Amino acid sequence: MEFDLKTIEALAPDQASLSAASKLTKQSNWPRLEKNEELALIWGECQGSGSNPYRVVVETGDDGYKCTCPSRKFPCKHTLALMWIAATTPASFAVAGSTPEWVNDWLSRRRKTTSQPVEPTQGAGGKSIGEAARDESSVVEDAAAVERREAAQRKRAEDTRSAVSAGLDELDQWIADQLRLGLAGFVDNSSDRCRRIAARLVDMKATALAGRIDEIPSRLMALRSEERPDAAIRELGKLVLLAKAWRSAPDDPELRRLVSTSESREQVLANRDATQVESAWEVLGEKIESRRDGLVSHSTWLLDLNSASSQFAQLLDFFPASAGRRSNAFTPGDRFEARLIFYPARQPLRALVADRRGDVSSGDWPDFGVDASDPLAAHVARQDAAPWVTDCPVMLPPGAILLDDRGAAWWQAAGDPHGIALPIADTVNPTLLGLDLKATAALWNGSRLELLAAQSGFGRLDLS
Amino acid sequence: MNEIEQTGLATMRDCWITGGTTFDLAPAAWQQIASSANPDERERRLLAIAAQALDIALRPAAPKMLKQRPPLPELALPMLPERLRPLLRAALKHAADARTKTRVATLVASRGFVLHPMDWMPSASYQESPDVYAPWVDWQAGVGGEKQSRREQLTVETWDDFYPAARRTALADMRRTAPALARQLIEAKGSSEPAEIRSALIELMRFGLGADDVPFLKSLSADRSGRVRELAGRLLARLGEHGNPGDGGTEDPTAELAAFIAEGKSGFIRRRTTYTPIRLKAPAQEARRGDLFATCYLGDLAARFGVTESDFLGAWQFGVDDNADLFLVRMVSVSGSDAAVAHLADTLGAGGGKPALLVLHLMARLDSGRKRVLTRQILKDTQNLHALNQVEGIEAGWLEWADLTNGQTLPALRSAVAGNDEPVKRSADQTLENLGFLATAATAEKLIGDVVAAGMAPAAPSLGLLRLNAALAGPGIDT
Repeated sequence: MEFDLKTIEALAPDQASLSAASKLTKQSNWPRLEKNEELALIWGECQGSGSNPYRVVVETGDDGYKCTCPSRKFPCKHTLALMWIAATTPASFAVAGSTPEWVNDWLSRRRKTTSQPVEPTQGAGGKSIGEAARDESSVVEDAAAVERREAAQRKRAEDTRSAVSAGLDELDQWIADQLRLGLAGFVDNSSDRCRRIAARLVDMKATALAGRIDEIPSRLMALRSEERPDAAIRELGKLVLLAKAWRSAPDDPELRRLVSTSESREQVLANRDATQVESAWEVLGEKIESRRDGLVSHSTWLLDLNSASSQFAQLLDFFPASAGRRSNAFTPGDRFEARLIFYPARQPLRALVADRRGDVSSGDWPDFGVDASDPLAAHVARQDAAPWVTDCPVMLPPGAILLDDRGAAWWQAAGDPHGIALPIADTVNPTLLGLDLKATAALWNGSRLELLAAQSGFGRLDLS
Repeated sequence: MNEIEQTGLATMRDCWITGGTTFDLAPAAWQQIASSANPDERERRLLAIAAQALDIALRPAAPKMLKQRPPLPELALPMLPERLRPLLRAALKHAADARTKTRVATLVASRGFVLHPMDWMPSASYQESPDVYAPWVDWQAGVGGEKQSRREQLTVETWDDFYPAARRTALADMRRTAPALARQLIEAKGSSEPAEIRSALIELMRFGLGADDVPFLKSLSADRSGRVRELAGRLLARLGEHGNPGDGGTEDPTAELAAFIAEGKSGFIRRRTTYTPIRLKAPAQEARRGDLFATCYLGDLAARFGVTESDFLGAWQFGVDDNADLFLVRMVSVSGSDAAVAHLADTLGAGGGKPALLVLHLMARLDSGRKRVLTRQILKDTQNLHALNQVEGIEAGWLEWADLTNGQTLPALRSAVAGNDEPVKRSADQTLENLGFLATAATAEKLIGDVVAAGMAPAAPSLGLLRLNAALAGPGIDT
């Protein structure tokens, strides 16, 4: 590793990036720092503001780099921080014999330029690494200022609550209108109708709920026409339940998150009542969806390998679609020890990685004792506790994938040709039709299964 | 949910679809929950109850008929160890097309492993997959029924128990070890197969082709398929049986082709016969000559000049007309005897340079040893390294370090890697990928070190197959 601070200074796009990078050079921000000197590579995972860590790799030979963050600055603060650590504390990097698959993936897509590594230049365009490293946290607020700030916060919260309440009144009326006018018309015209009420809800600060309503048309269109009325009843009915629940407990963190805004990462980490689970986790898969509101939602689903029953966690981030395609934060099949903090909820699911420790060796999933008589029992339990939830992770018992006469794929429990069959969203890899599935992790959205991963006679299968 | 609630829900659903109020249609228990509110609120409450009922009390209605595929068969070799799958996936990702992906699978199979079916599956239509994958080819082809690919001996009795790809593999093996037995099987069962399968079976006769096959091949001259008749004629020609004995008249295509070739003498002391393509004056002549080379047989042409196939080829003046050279080599590949093919390959190979590349057109007929000779020749010459990509059907993992150092290949690669010429770099990447397939594990490891020392990025994608190859070094591999 041949970085020096002058090179980093020269690479930095501006002084702000250097300042931001300096704050990320603490070891605690980097649960993973590794290097392979033979391949001239360093890489790491930086726990940024999102739930999914950012993955950063740098080729030290030519200063080539890649980070999974959505920043439009190149290199971003995470890349600069990784180089900074390499320059100042190279011993922080563990020696790795092989490169992870995400690094290989970057290497395989990389088109190398013929440009030479950046040469440090005097002054580097007014950027100064010394200035960036200076502690900027010395500003002390006086007590009166704190009081004023908190009062303003309270006022804003009260205003938001009033606005949201008014927004939900409009939503109630809108739902009643849809029922009166007929769901057939709603299904046909859902795009415009949902857009209009979603725009109103954004105005009334019910942002999260607006985003959810904006997605209803695409969820309906993913189904066959004869299924859409039932799906519309489910979608609108859940909105009614959510609005009612919020009115009865507007400060409930789960409901506030689903209706207006989510708490920050720092607030969740500081919440002593939040559920914490320290365990071995396996990355089941990822789900990346472009939303109509211009955001991309990025979910990573984890499975608790030490739990007696199947327990899941969701790392969820949103970033603007304009930031371009984002690389995956984890590789399906990765296993690691970690302490997860769950966002408070009736059935906690969304989580943050608080501490990540070493990797765990691969192997089969434990036997979770899944109820073969009703593969959706976990979904039912979750709906009983939080009936406004849409997607629910389930662990399915032994089964297989079959095709109906239209070529659509279904999951069906093994040895029960007349038992429950669950339709699968999208097409499946044809190879999957010949594999026995000992256990399958999937998301059930009330109408379709989205497969995440499975265990089979051929080992672990990545299905997301 | 009880029956009354189910009926009520269905009625409410129908009402909501068209629009209207459903309070009067709701089950009594649901009405009770909703009754204390205004009409809009009543509908919303009923909607919430209906949504929850749909979500937890009902299950999707499964179609009456769900088709299950037979289980994917297990293969005879163990699966590639998990720790090598990232390297494999990197190599597969870099492989541009089905053919190069198949070469990755071939290399891995040569080291005793098969790939995970979710990483790679052989195509049902591409027949160059390693034999070990035959059960998966059959599975991919979606052959119906319950039968399994069997590992027992292929006989008339067990013929129908084998799927086509497995049968093809078994027959090819049998042709190499017991050609008469295989011929009898093809004779007994082939006639009842459709023309496409029949011609594929006859095509297998090229393995272990011998004089004993002549009567059967002659009997195919009456086959109802033109493709089968043509194949049989070519195989007979390879055995020296003149498939199209001409009468020498104006309608005789061999005589017409011979008219495009000038017989002459060269040398002052020892006068040698030469055969030289005559200079053509019009594109139409060129086209006609091409057609004649494609349809006539080498044996007939040589006989027309009263010499053996080998003598004719020995006297051919290569380098006078490149197109004529190419047509002739293709003709030898299609209808020349094994001796003629070997003679021509050795002659062209010994000369080196551009004519040696014509041997590439004999690829389908060359034995393993001559393919290796050709590969070494290409590496030694260095000028046409791209031709490595055209060496078809060659084994994986045999190229030694000495084969690379015996010529200018390594210096050329080093120079390409160190330089800034993008097309040259891309060409070097292609060569490295080809060498990744051909090299032994030790050679692969050495080569990686060599080009990295010359300036190539150690993690460059074009080294992917070489890295996999090196990691597949025999004894250390565990399953």
